[in-house]
Amino acid sequence: MPLVEIEDLKVSFSQYGGQVDAVRGVSFSVNEGESLGIVGESGSGKSVSCSALLRLLPATARVSAKKITLDGIDVLKAGKEDLIRLRGRTAAMIFQDPMTAFDPVFTIGHQIAETIRAHRQVSQREALAEAEQLLLRVEIKNARDILGYYPHQLSGGMLQRAMIAMALSCRPKVLIADEPTTALDVTIQAQILQLIKKVQAEFGMALIMITHDLGVIAETVDRVLVMYGGEVMEEGPVQQIFDAPRHDYTKALLASLNTSFDPSRGDDTAPAPALELRGLAKAYRIKRRSGFFTTYTDFHAVRPVDIVLPRNSIVGLVGESGSGKTTTGMMAMRLTEPSTGQILVDGADISGLGPDELKSFRRRMQIVFQDSYSALDPMMTLSQIIAEPLHIHGIGSAREQTEKALDWLERVGLPRNFGSRYSHELSGGQRQRVAIARALILGPSVLVADEPTSALDVTVKAQIIGLLKELQAEMGLSILFISHDLSTVKSLTDSVVVMYRGRVVEQAPTERIFSDPQHPYTRALLDAIPAANPRDKRERTFLAAGDLEAQTPRYTTIQTGLAPNATPQLVTIAPGHRVEAVVTT
Amino acid sequence: MILFILRRLVSVAVTFFVVSLIIFFMMHAIPGGPFDGNDMPVSQAVRDKLMARLGLDQPLWVQYTRYMWGVLQFDFGVPYQSPGETVTQLLSRAWIPSLVLGGLGVLIGAPLGILLGMAAALNRNTWIDYFASTLATLGLTIPVFVTSMLLILVFAVWLGWLPASGWGKPERWILPITAYALIPLATYARYTRSAMLDTLNKQFVTVLRAKGLSESRIVFQHVLRNSAIPLVTVFLPMFIGTATGSIFVEAMFRVPGLGAYFVSSIETRDYPLEMALMLMITFMYCIAYLLSDVVYALINPRIRVGGGQ
Repeated sequence: MPLVEIEDLKVSFSQYGGQVDAVRGVSFSVNEGESLGIVGESGSGKSVSCSALLRLLPATARVSAKKITLDGIDVLKAGKEDLIRLRGRTAAMIFQDPMTAFDPVFTIGHQIAETIRAHRQVSQREALAEAEQLLLRVEIKNARDILGYYPHQLSGGMLQRAMIAMALSCRPKVLIADEPTTALDVTIQAQILQLIKKVQAEFGMALIMITHDLGVIAETVDRVLVMYGGEVMEEGPVQQIFDAPRHDYTKALLASLNTSFDPSRGDDTAPAPALELRGLAKAYRIKRRSGFFTTYTDFHAVRPVDIVLPRNSIVGLVGESGSGKTTTGMMAMRLTEPSTGQILVDGADISGLGPDELKSFRRRMQIVFQDSYSALDPMMTLSQIIAEPLHIHGIGSAREQTEKALDWLERVGLPRNFGSRYSHELSGGQRQRVAIARALILGPSVLVADEPTSALDVTVKAQIIGLLKELQAEMGLSILFISHDLSTVKSLTDSVVVMYRGRVVEQAPTERIFSDPQHPYTRALLDAIPAANPRDKRERTFLAAGDLEAQTPRYTTIQTGLAPNATPQLVTIAPGHRVEAVVTT
Repeated sequence: MILFILRRLVSVAVTFFVVSLIIFFMMHAIPGGPFDGNDMPVSQAVRDKLMARLGLDQPLWVQYTRYMWGVLQFDFGVPYQSPGETVTQLLSRAWIPSLVLGGLGVLIGAPLGILLGMAAALNRNTWIDYFASTLATLGLTIPVFVTSMLLILVFAVWLGWLPASGWGKPERWILPITAYALIPLATYARYTRSAMLDTLNKQFVTVLRAKGLSESRIVFQHVLRNSAIPLVTVFLPMFIGTATGSIFVEAMFRVPGLGAYFVSSIETRDYPLEMALMLMITFMYCIAYLLSDVVYALINPRIRVGGGQ
């Protein structure tokens, strides 16, 4: 008998103005020890189906099914006692955002021990001892200390490990992982995925992996369920889904994994690059109080960086969260004031300009943000939003401005009659199109795109990237593309700058950085990209921060022509390829 | 933590000084003086003499400095309306009814309000929620002198169960305290409801359910503690606000508390008493905010422990 059996599951939510069918007749089963992946974009009903399995849906949900059983128990009829046994003991769940998944006012140890004691009669001391063992199992080294930590004191990756430990605490038969790595950095994502596979094997559990990311599926599961619009589109062994997808939606998903574009033409005739950052750095003063004295130390968000964005080309700026890539982008736009350094737009230094002089330069440089929802004024219609830059710079009459805004709506692939709508009426992808139109209506030469597709679904993401590339080629734009998504960077950009802890550690033409990475951190980043096909999945080794230091490349003075220096510095090793290295004699 | 409290005490002192300055000069900016009334006319010569004896003929800054110098030695002067005693004596007498009225009002109203808010949040969109929300809205929107009147009308005039006014005996306390308790009850019911609903919608509550904890444990152990964090910040300052006495309730029920003296000291330009009352309230508010910040830090590990890695 299968461990999980769902037959003809229907879930609808009653809302103001009718009901929304989130799941329409989904059936699947999971056997003991098996791993099933459920893939689909937001709103496809994949999370809702699994929440229904544990009766975790809010009271506004109406659930019906021919059959939902978990380890032989009818979930819909389960009483209080049965529910407690099902949740945590039969099936345990890990969630997307580990930062919000723990109660902030209790320690990690308390919360794991509490789970153990909800299911078994053991003392607090025994439960805490067991919690420590569990933390060790999920490869947390200083487990004893972590027990006494509060959630806000730990990083996202550590919290997700603790979450996994908590899920394992009652030896569940099935582990449900709902987008467990979406909120994490690439390198951490790879480690967590590997950990989930490891503990699954050790504890002999079944696994249900819910994700929008086909790469995650390729890495972790045996069988795949593709969902769209609350229905199952396709089901089959993972290799078959990747090699011979039958359904159009699956094909579209797979296609979005493997996009590629022609390289940008570049423009050698221009006297100066579109944007040049010279020794740009940002340090924040941190106040520390010791006794009655206050001392200040500097936190270097960005150490002096030099980045050149040539005309008519796309430069990718990659790194994990906290690496300083967004700060660099904001400084380039002079939206964050740099501590030192120069910003040159078309060869003119704008770092010292006052507000009035800066205003005219703003026409040449625009930005698109990650969160399109908060980037658009909810009180303005789309045509007002798009026309606003023209209004600010006093270009054309009011009628001309509106007319131009409507033209731009069309240019970014939206109908003209959307002009009178408001941003909340649009989907995430449509909103991002509006944000792009607003940024480009002034005809800028430089565009900073800060994670413009990170909040979007896979297929939508591919469309937005396509649109950006198309507009870039048409307008001869120079784009600084900030992203942590390496597969997008690989297909879109001409060259890549890798940042790590506020420093540029490597920069090179895109093709070269992906084929011949030199810095250990770049290698770690590339190694962490999930496989695009289950055939290519591999065992990975991970580097600790200390290892990264130790593996910093070394070059001699003869190779570089530089004076020997023990502190790593950027060294040119090939045309356009620079890497942070130690120079020895 | 000790340093934090010390720093806050300094800011309390500054606040105290600024408020005293503002009140003192505003008080004297009102036209008229203590001996300008028509019911007991005094001749110009007598008035001048009185003014000189009380120091009211001096420039304002001299008066202010003298007064504040006294305050620093806990000498708040002599009230003009009752020259036989000091302000301190008068206040310590008038303080008791206000404290009983306000204190009992809050101690009864606040827990009831919190319970009502909890019941409303846990039974969202049911008749319990609607009842609680209606009660809270009425309590907040109907002025206390209207509810006082209604209480007097129903329980004293129509039913004749309770005395309409006065203070002395405990049965005289019931109506004013009831009228008074409605304010904290309504406020806490609303705050608690929204704080609880806020917490119930958090992701970690779903996680707790998925862990197999019982609903009662989730509510009492986790949700309540998290909801208490925003509640603490409103609790203490409001406690002070109510404990210092409500002018209206005391006036409606003829309670001889601070509220009555508040009104009369403004009317008769009784500068020392007025000043003392205002300074006392300012001081209590400052201390209340300080205390609530300390409690806030104690129950919230994000502030108590600080950032980690």
